[in-house]
Amino acid sequence: MTLRREGDVEYRFEHPDAFRRFVRDRKSRRPQAKLLSAQEAVATFVSDGDYIVYDFSSLTRGPQILIREVIRQRKKDLWIGAEFTLHESSLLVGAGCASRIDVGFLGYGNYIGQAVCDGRVKVYEWTNGGLALRMLAGARGVPFLPTRDLLGTDNLAVSAAKVIADPYTGDPVCLVPALNPDVALIHVHQADVCGDARIFGTNLFALEAAMASHRVIVSAEEIVEPDEFRKDPMRTTIPYFLVDAVVHAPFGAYPGSMPARYEIDLAHVDRLNGIRTEDQMRAYLDEFVFGVADHEEFLDRKVGAQRMKELRRNATIVEGYR
Amino acid sequence: MPRTVEFTDTEFMIAQGARLLEDGKTFFVGWGIPQVVAILAQKLYVPNVVQLFEFGAVGPQSALPFVRGTMGGAQNTYRSLQWLNMNWAFSYSASGYMDYGMLGALQVDPFGNINSTFLGGTFAAPDRRFAGSGGGNQVASHCWRTIIVIKHEGRRFVPRVDFLTSPGYLSGPGSREKAGLPAGTGPYRVVTSKALFGFDDDTKEMTLLSVLRGLDPEEIVREMAFRPRLAKPIDEIPPPTDAELRLLRDEIDPARIIIRGERMTAVA
Repeated sequence: MTLRREGDVEYRFEHPDAFRRFVRDRKSRRPQAKLLSAQEAVATFVSDGDYIVYDFSSLTRGPQILIREVIRQRKKDLWIGAEFTLHESSLLVGAGCASRIDVGFLGYGNYIGQAVCDGRVKVYEWTNGGLALRMLAGARGVPFLPTRDLLGTDNLAVSAAKVIADPYTGDPVCLVPALNPDVALIHVHQADVCGDARIFGTNLFALEAAMASHRVIVSAEEIVEPDEFRKDPMRTTIPYFLVDAVVHAPFGAYPGSMPARYEIDLAHVDRLNGIRTEDQMRAYLDEFVFGVADHEEFLDRKVGAQRMKELRRNATIVEGYR
Repeated sequence: MPRTVEFTDTEFMIAQGARLLEDGKTFFVGWGIPQVVAILAQKLYVPNVVQLFEFGAVGPQSALPFVRGTMGGAQNTYRSLQWLNMNWAFSYSASGYMDYGMLGALQVDPFGNINSTFLGGTFAAPDRRFAGSGGGNQVASHCWRTIIVIKHEGRRFVPRVDFLTSPGYLSGPGSREKAGLPAGTGPYRVVTSKALFGFDDDTKEMTLLSVLRGLDPEEIVREMAFRPRLAKPIDEIPPPTDAELRLLRDEIDPARIIIRGERMTAVA
C-alpha cells in the first residue's frame, strides 16, 4: 500500500483488540441501577488526562451540567474531541482543565481563539466529518475508515489522517484512525436508572460515542421506567449496557436549549460569548461554577424558578418530539 | 419613476444568494449566513428545495424568527423530513445526493479555496484563530456545486489562503480529482456583499460575473488582493426587492442583528 501523505501530530488511538478486551472485561451487562449525582458520576468516571467527547453542542442539548462539574472538580490535562464546542472549550481551557482539543468547530468568541494564539491549548483539525467518522470506526471495531474529504487541504498536515492509494480504484483516499475516548458525556431527554436513553431530535454521534467510549455518563432531563423502552424500542438511542452512570439533570443543557423542553437563554449565552480576558473568565467561573455547590444550587441561585419557567414557555415547538 | 432602495450590504448578500438556488434541488447549508440565505430562498423562491444540516436535519423548514448563533435547535430543524446524525448527513453528500452546498469563509483565493481556520502567523501560533472547518470541508469536498458567501472586503480575496480549510479547485484544473476528491465537484459561485463571481470552465479561475446595480466593476476588482477574470459583459444585479427586505427585516431577523451592516443604496 502506498502512503501518499500523512500528518505528523499526536492523536488518540488504541488497538481495536485492546478496546474489545476492555468491553469484554470491564463493561457490565447487568441492568443494575446506576443513578448517581453529577458530583459522584464525574468523580468516579472522569480522571485527569482523560480524552472526553460530548453530544450535542453548547447551544443544543449539551451536557452542560457535567461540563460544569468537571470544571468544579478541577480535572486536569483533558483532551477533548469536540464537534461543536462553542463554550465548553473556552470554559475548560479557561479553568485549566483542557490542554488539547480535536476539532470540529472551535467555538465562538475571543477567549478560545486567543488561548490558541497564546499557545495555551493545542488544537488538531480533524473536521466535523473526520471526527464523526473516527467515532464510527471506534464503534465498528476497525482501526480506521476511509473518506473522500480532507484531501487536498491543510487539515491533512495538522491531523493524523493519512492518504493512501485506494486498493480498489487506485485513486487517493483519506484514512482517519478510530477514536475510542475515555469518557462520553451525553445529555438526553429521557433515561431509566439503568442507562437506557432516548434523544428526541438530531444528534452528532450519540450512539457511536457511547459504543466507542470506555465510560459513558448519561445526564437526563427525565427519569422514566425501564419498561417504557420495551414498549417503544424504535425510540431507544442508547441501550443501558453501554452506560456507566445516569444523572438526573433537569435543565442540564442550560444555558443551551433542550428541544421541546426549554429554550436557549440568549442573555446568558451572550455573557459567555463576551468573555475576553482572564479576569472575565475567572469572574464567570467563580460566579457560575465554583460559587455553587452543585447543579441544584446553580439552578436555584443563578437561574431561578422564574427564568426557568420563561424558558420552558419559550419552547413552543413540540411537533416531532415526544 | 426610478426609486432608490436603502439596505445593508449583508441584506444584499443574503438576497442575491437566495436568488441563486434552484427549486427541486438539494442544498447542504453551512452555519451562519447560509442558513439565512436558505430560509429566505425557501420562503420566497424555492419551496421545494431540500435543505440538509450537518448534524442530520434533512429537509427542515425553519420556524421564524431565526434564532441567531444556533443551528440545532427546534426552530431550525422544524418540519424536517428526517432526523439523523452526522455520519448519515455526510453520507448524503458523499454519495452524490447534494446538488449545492453553501459556506461562509474568512478568505478565498482565485481557485475558490476557502480558509476558515486562522489569519496570519502559523497554525501553531496564529495571529487570529477562528472556528476552523466544522463540516465545511465535507461540504466543499462532496457537493456538486459549492457556493461561497463572503463579505466583499479586499483582504478576504487573497492570492493564497493562509490555511486551506475547505477545497476549491486547489491548484487548478484537474487538481481536485488528482487529490482524490469526488469527480465533477467544486466551487460554483462566490456571493459577496457587492458582486457575484463564477469560475472559468477551462482555467477554474474566479471570474467576476456581475455587480450590484450602480457599482463600478473596476472598483470592485481594485479592492481585491488578486485580479479575477472578468466576464463579458459584466451584468448588473438589482438591489434587494421589497419582498426580500420585508421578509428579512420583519420575519427572519426582527432584532436586526444578523442583517446589520454597511448602509448601501441602489436604484430599484
